[in-house]
Amino acid sequence: MEDKKKPTSSGKRKWVGSSYKRKEDMRLLTGRGRFMDDIRLPNTKYAAILRSPYAHAIINDVDISEALKAPGVIGVVTGKDVKEMSNPYPCGVPIPPKYYVCAVDRVRYVGEPVAVVVAENRYLAEDALDLIEVDYEPLEAVVDIEKALAPDAPVLHDNIGSNIYNHRFFKYGDWESACQEADEIVKWKFHFPKYAGSPMETYAVIASYNPFEKSYVIYNNYQGPFVNHALTAMALGVPENKMRWIVPTDIGGGFGTKTGLYPYCALISITAKKTGVTVKWIEDRREHLLASATCTDRITYIEAAVRKDGKILGLKDKAMDTSGGYIRPPEPGCAYRSTGNHTGAYDIRNLDREVYVVATNKGLTAPLRGYGCQELYFSTERITDMAAAKLGVDPAEMRFRNLIQPEQMPYKTATGGYYDVGNYPAAFKKCLDLVEYDKMREYQKKAREEGRLVGIGLATVVDPSVTNIAYVAIGKTIEERKNERDKSGSGEAVIVKVDPLGGITVICSTNPQGQGHETVISQIIADEFGVHPDQVVVDTQYDSSDRLYTITTGSYSSRFASVGTNAVVKAARNCLEKAKKIAAHLLKIEQADVVLEDGKFFPKGNPEKAIMLRHIAGAAHWNQFDMPEGMDVGLYGTSMQSMPTSRPPDEKDRVNSSNTYGFVAEAIVVEVDPDTGQVRFLKWASVHDAGTILNPEIVRGQVLGSIVQAIGGSLYEEQAYDENGQCLTASFADYLCPTAMEMPKVDVGHFESQSVLTALGSKGCGESSSMSVPPAIGNAIADALAPLGAVVDKLPLSPSNIWHLMEKAKARKN
Amino acid sequence: MKIDGTYAFAAHQDKVWEIFNTVEYLQEALPGCEKLDEVEPGKYDVYLKIGISAVKGKYKGKFEIADSKPPNSYRLIGEGKGLPGYVKGEALIELSTEGEETVLSYHGDVQVGGLLAGIGQRMIGGISKMMLEQFFKSIEKIVNQKVNIGG
Repeated sequence: MEDKKKPTSSGKRKWVGSSYKRKEDMRLLTGRGRFMDDIRLPNTKYAAILRSPYAHAIINDVDISEALKAPGVIGVVTGKDVKEMSNPYPCGVPIPPKYYVCAVDRVRYVGEPVAVVVAENRYLAEDALDLIEVDYEPLEAVVDIEKALAPDAPVLHDNIGSNIYNHRFFKYGDWESACQEADEIVKWKFHFPKYAGSPMETYAVIASYNPFEKSYVIYNNYQGPFVNHALTAMALGVPENKMRWIVPTDIGGGFGTKTGLYPYCALISITAKKTGVTVKWIEDRREHLLASATCTDRITYIEAAVRKDGKILGLKDKAMDTSGGYIRPPEPGCAYRSTGNHTGAYDIRNLDREVYVVATNKGLTAPLRGYGCQELYFSTERITDMAAAKLGVDPAEMRFRNLIQPEQMPYKTATGGYYDVGNYPAAFKKCLDLVEYDKMREYQKKAREEGRLVGIGLATVVDPSVTNIAYVAIGKTIEERKNERDKSGSGEAVIVKVDPLGGITVICSTNPQGQGHETVISQIIADEFGVHPDQVVVDTQYDSSDRLYTITTGSYSSRFASVGTNAVVKAARNCLEKAKKIAAHLLKIEQADVVLEDGKFFPKGNPEKAIMLRHIAGAAHWNQFDMPEGMDVGLYGTSMQSMPTSRPPDEKDRVNSSNTYGFVAEAIVVEVDPDTGQVRFLKWASVHDAGTILNPEIVRGQVLGSIVQAIGGSLYEEQAYDENGQCLTASFADYLCPTAMEMPKVDVGHFESQSVLTALGSKGCGESSSMSVPPAIGNAIADALAPLGAVVDKLPLSPSNIWHLMEKAKARKN
Repeated sequence: MKIDGTYAFAAHQDKVWEIFNTVEYLQEALPGCEKLDEVEPGKYDVYLKIGISAVKGKYKGKFEIADSKPPNSYRLIGEGKGLPGYVKGEALIELSTEGEETVLSYHGDVQVGGLLAGIGQRMIGGISKMMLEQFFKSIEKIVNQKVNIGG
């Protein structure tokens, strides 16, 4: 393993890599966090939203006359107002549906907003909702992806004319010749469920309108990317600079739920404009579970062409996603975000892909932690195990035969991904050692002899971080793209400033939701400037009026550790560059002769002549005349960094859809209760390569968090619908989230291959196991149930689903 | 969602039939019933106020008695909506005499929508069973009064 740490400006690296205690925790743990509901603005009134009880219906009439007479009611907004006051949102598909932030003349999923009441308080607003009379004319609903594609299916959007939002074919390499060379073609159909992020803090908006300047101020807890600022401005028909977004320092989690289009920013803004008051709306838990956003559920038909020795020569798959009643940015991205890493950690050069994104009468989607990768890897890693079983090759051995070798790095995937560094076989071996793979196989053998259902599941995947927005563009064909501007980028912005007394403040637009950016930025700045992290103040509150931002700004796609830290380091070094120039001027030496060590600036060889940062800042602020000629006064550095690997898609539909790619190996041992279908984890090892580890405790938190979230999707969570499109899981009584009780003991291991693309060698790891755990659990339970002849091709593997699998297998045998 | 069950009344079948076809008695017995109007023979508008957890709210609905075969059976067709969602359904109500008792049996198929569905069918099942139980108990009380009075 590499041991060389990347250099820092102040000589030695002291703080990055240490588990420096999180600066955020004391305020969060003592209830002093400042979330959306803690913001109290004058003249604020409260909104409640009326939602459709039908999955599909025509709205003949919305009668608000009684509601307007109700006590405390200030105003009511309906679809008619929304249609007059806004435009449908744009979306990167050939024919976007008319997605307004409130249903206009038709509802297409249960929970779709139909009207908004503003009143003196939330209670009165909710009471008035009761008085709105909506005349619905129910239509037939469709919830099944494949049924939605049938010729006789009810069509959701007349302007599209079918239920296909997006349909594309891709060819990389030569699948046909792979088939000819192959000894076996293994194929199966998989189904990935629709589950949610369930952040502790739900959606929330406070909006006001200034009629004199025709401008909005919108407080919200959006995660980014701030492309949504532009999209919301387009929907509201105002210039972007007339719409100020403010996001508080603390957001109570996001997990991607808050990275999708945030329609309530526009809806509550329209309400504020119409009613002339500041309007506050906090989504309640039932609204959130019913109608906020989940991941995209997917059906995958997949085929693998394999050689007898276990080598996978090619893949062919057809992914069918549904984004529900509408499609909204960044969809159809679920199908495309993983393009560059579609072949995962394996050296596979041939791939045929077909993608459908389909309209159904279900709730809408957003990029849930892992965005697209758990859906993808559930099919590719399950088919890898199925192929191994067919060939009689051990699943671990099967993976060793296909993993990209360290000497192949940097590796360009068939689909355009660029993996800079990594040693996948070594990291995988570390995982197998940690779980004691051979010993566990022996254990399993004995357990099986006793009639116990013990299984071992593996997954080896590539964990992409920092999406390049170019990935969304391949929802359109090369021909369709020709008429449009290219899209690319992953930029992030940071300002580092030194005040007149020498204090360092970092202003960033990374907009965290609990990831600990204040802490890690303090560590990085401490190393760069040679100061203590406690001396650094980090301001993460986002405000579009005074922060540098671009359309990619924000916290999503595990961006911080890669592009976020690049921007921090570059801004710090720009600031230090200026400081050194001033130091040279003050010390009357050449800039090249200025040495920075432990926060001291001194002439090479003369540390006794050292001056401190505060002296330099003092000169820059207090004696502005005495600055190097032509230099701006004050002391600061800024940087807005994209990554050089963020390029537009090429003419062969190849795209480097992310910028840094980590590696995850998962090994899980389970036991299934043959009577109840209950799953118990006996042993679990999870090994990650996310490059340089910036703060081990924070990384541990991210890994365990991604594991527990994925346990939810794998075993418990599903937003379920009946055949009429009624959502059956709008409370935590029916929508089951894992708790501390369901969290198994996990042995987490690390492997550090420093990225050559980032200033500190780090890569993102916030999503990590959220993409490797669903296939690993699927493989483990499949392995456990193999003696019964049961096939696992669907999540969540709840006790009742497993019990049905076992019963079905028994019936087949008899 | 299917709703099935039986309830036994200690009264003559004709009496039970009469009570089940009298607006005032139904209004009295229906839990949370604020108003029950007969808009035309066999068709009713009903206003309910329910105070049970997730289904709490005011409901407006209508129901109809069809295929009436006195004193043996009728079909009950109804729908109602309130803020938490809507309910739509149909039930076959049958009366039969078993010894001294009249046994009422019901077989219904109910569709629920909106939050009513979202909070879980098993919860709705429990709540509707509880409300039906309450309803039949009240009817039973009325039946007993009638029998005692000998009316």
